Amino acid sequence: MAVSPPSTMLSTIQSRDIPFQGSANARSPLTMTHADRELTEQLNDDVRRKYVKDKKLGEGTYAVVSLGYLKTDPSVFVAIKKIKVNAEYKDGLTMDAIREVKYLQELSHPNIIALHDVFSSKDQTLNLVLEYLPRGDLEMLIKDGNIQYGAADVKAWMGMLARGVWFCHENFVLHRDIKPNNLLIASDGEVKLADFGLARSFADPYLNMTHQVITRWYRPPELLYGARQYSGAVDVWSMGMVFAELLIRVPFVAGNSDLDQISKICEAFGTPTDDNWPGVSKLPNYFPPDRAHIIPLQGRDFFVRQFPTAGPVGADLLMSMCALDPRKRSTARQILSHSWWSTEPKPTKKEDLPKKAGGTKKMGDDMGRRVGQVDDGLFKNAARQLHF
Amino acid sequence: MIEDEIYRSSSQFRLWSYTESSLRDLRANTNAVASDRVRAALQRARQARQPVNPNGSNAETAIDEKEIECLNPEEELELVRYYCEKTLELGETYKPPLPTNVRATAIQYLRRFYLTNSPMTYHPKSIMACALFLATKTDNYYMSLRQFADGIPGDNTTAEDVIAPEYLIMQGLRFTFDVRHPFRGLEGGIMELQAMAQGLGQPAPHLPQQTPEDLRRALHLIPPNPSASSSSSSSSSLTDRIAHAHHNTRELLKTAAQMTDAYFLYTPSQIWLSALFIADRPLAEFYLFTKIGSPASLPPSTSSSSSSTNPLDALRTKLIHTITSCSALLQAYTSLSTGPEQMKSLKAIAKKLYHCQNPEKVNLAGQKRDSANPSPAASTPAAIAAAGGEGASESEMERIAKKRKLELERKGREANDIFGGELVTERTKERSLQ
Repeated sequence: MAVSPPSTMLSTIQSRDIPFQGSANARSPLTMTHADRELTEQLNDDVRRKYVKDKKLGEGTYAVVSLGYLKTDPSVFVAIKKIKVNAEYKDGLTMDAIREVKYLQELSHPNIIALHDVFSSKDQTLNLVLEYLPRGDLEMLIKDGNIQYGAADVKAWMGMLARGVWFCHENFVLHRDIKPNNLLIASDGEVKLADFGLARSFADPYLNMTHQVITRWYRPPELLYGARQYSGAVDVWSMGMVFAELLIRVPFVAGNSDLDQISKICEAFGTPTDDNWPGVSKLPNYFPPDRAHIIPLQGRDFFVRQFPTAGPVGADLLMSMCALDPRKRSTARQILSHSWWSTEPKPTKKEDLPKKAGGTKKMGDDMGRRVGQVDDGLFKNAARQLHF
Repeated sequence: MIEDEIYRSSSQFRLWSYTESSLRDLRANTNAVASDRVRAALQRARQARQPVNPNGSNAETAIDEKEIECLNPEEELELVRYYCEKTLELGETYKPPLPTNVRATAIQYLRRFYLTNSPMTYHPKSIMACALFLATKTDNYYMSLRQFADGIPGDNTTAEDVIAPEYLIMQGLRFTFDVRHPFRGLEGGIMELQAMAQGLGQPAPHLPQQTPEDLRRALHLIPPNPSASSSSSSSSSLTDRIAHAHHNTRELLKTAAQMTDAYFLYTPSQIWLSALFIADRPLAEFYLFTKIGSPASLPPSTSSSSSSTNPLDALRTKLIHTITSCSALLQAYTSLSTGPEQMKSLKAIAKKLYHCQNPEKVNLAGQKRDSANPSPAASTPAAIAAAGGEGASESEMERIAKKRKLELERKGREANDIFGGELVTERTKERSLQ
């Protein structure tokens, strides 16, 4: 596969001493009279020159992801995601790229993928310098039958997810696409919320948002019913679905259409009615259930029975995340103060969490592979997660 | 975690907050770099022209003979401010008008962009529409580029014209799109005041002894608003007074807060409180003191001890000082398009800019992302420079030089159009500028 060597991007740049470093806050000594670049371009060059682009990790429809490292310290790896120009979209930079850049620039938290820098390369494409997360994602772990994990591990992963989501909501940002393969794993085992291509700020009261968000299996009932005004509760539902999936190792409610998704949710948790969810019948896509098939709301027993690994306290937390009525669903803050976190077993330390079998070796193999070779394993997956 | 910490992690604080002097230095620096580049570019243009076109038009010869006079930072700022006002107006022309937030974001994009870019390099009139379109995207107000371009008054702005400088703008914004506005904070404060007026107020975290009834009674006892006309203040109810203050504060936030350096110098909450101070000072003071205690309301035990030991005292003094200076900044603002004096000065700046516009950067279409189908303009030196400028081969440079020569000749012929064709055709104002 043809991959342009990193030199095309970096080595042809003339080296010039640019004293203007970092923040525009700094008083700039940049008054050179023969500056051959605009000030903004110089700032961009400064950022670009901090990194060396190495081999390609993967490619999708929206972006090419490459491994990169810090010029001053080649042991510090980064993932450089180059946004492809979308030929079909004539309206400038696409919304998903705008959202991802906008929100990652604001959110700095151990459980959210870090955006170190953004720069433009010479063909006016956007390059996102992201935290390098080489250990795949939660979906890979869930699916890998060779990996065994238990309640303490799930607690650790869920704790990291809950902190990341809480931080988003505290900053008035809805993620709107939480699912296991958007939860990437750092080399130290830390789980990081990634892919902010669907994120947005909380809308002002009474303003509508789109309900066409969140991957179906993780989409809450209010969105399936077409709600246009919603809150952080949508992300909490997704978290509940991830929690359930971590416990039983298959997606808990996996509908094959939006309609099927609603009926599966009803089967699993009970049928939404105006009694258990006041006002639900007024949602645009709501349809009255077949009277003969109204399933009563599931109680605590159901969750304890269905998810024995979580224990009764864990089942209680899960239940609070899966309330059909979004107003009754726990908030991210309430989740963090739940007693499950302090109940035995203690969450596994992140460095002791299970890794994908052969993960480290695989990473090493990948690192040694010659430039341009795209592997179908770990790296490809890691790259895919960076949202193409 | 407190709100201050959240704000300090925002890009608005990290990259776009300044002191008055750092702001002045940055603008002076941008101006100096741009002026050098303009002089150099005009010099090149002159040299390129001479062997080919010795009998240039009169206008050109006139420029050639004079020393090139560049804009100074104050003139640049005034021009940018004028186009910020135009952005507000452009947003108003859509049906329905673009939301206040979108327009405010666009204005802040323009102001941020022109901290490191000079109007001599990129004329604001070719940047403002794109800044507004970008703001519709970043602030979740979806409309297609076509729809947006069609909404621009006059019929000569194409979708391509609008989108051409998008990448340039994003780079100038250092790829930060989030702007923290004071509007939401104001809404929250007004809701709190309304609740207090109805006896539904909540005690502030530092003053847990407050009761809803205390708050209600105290609010009803505040002195009349000195800045309101006497007739209205005496007759109107408290609810009306809050609504009135709300409206006037919002107007200040939509105008004065946008057109001044307020966002660079103050936080969103400082800005809306300062605007409320202008609109209704007793009301604003009451609100503030419910949060941090008024100097008079301190319990006797506290006031008998040294006042400096109370951290709220120090905080209040500091806050009042900040709010006072921000209020002064907002109050000093007058719309550029209102006064004939100001229009006269703007006209002079526009005229001056006509002679010191960087000729190599005029064609923004060259900044387009579409590298697959390069338009003739895409290979202008400006485009090459904007696109990185590296690695251009020698023959390519030669070709560009030739192209540049031809471009300049064409520009010379169209000299009268370079500054023509305003985006917003508001006849009286625009004509006086030209």
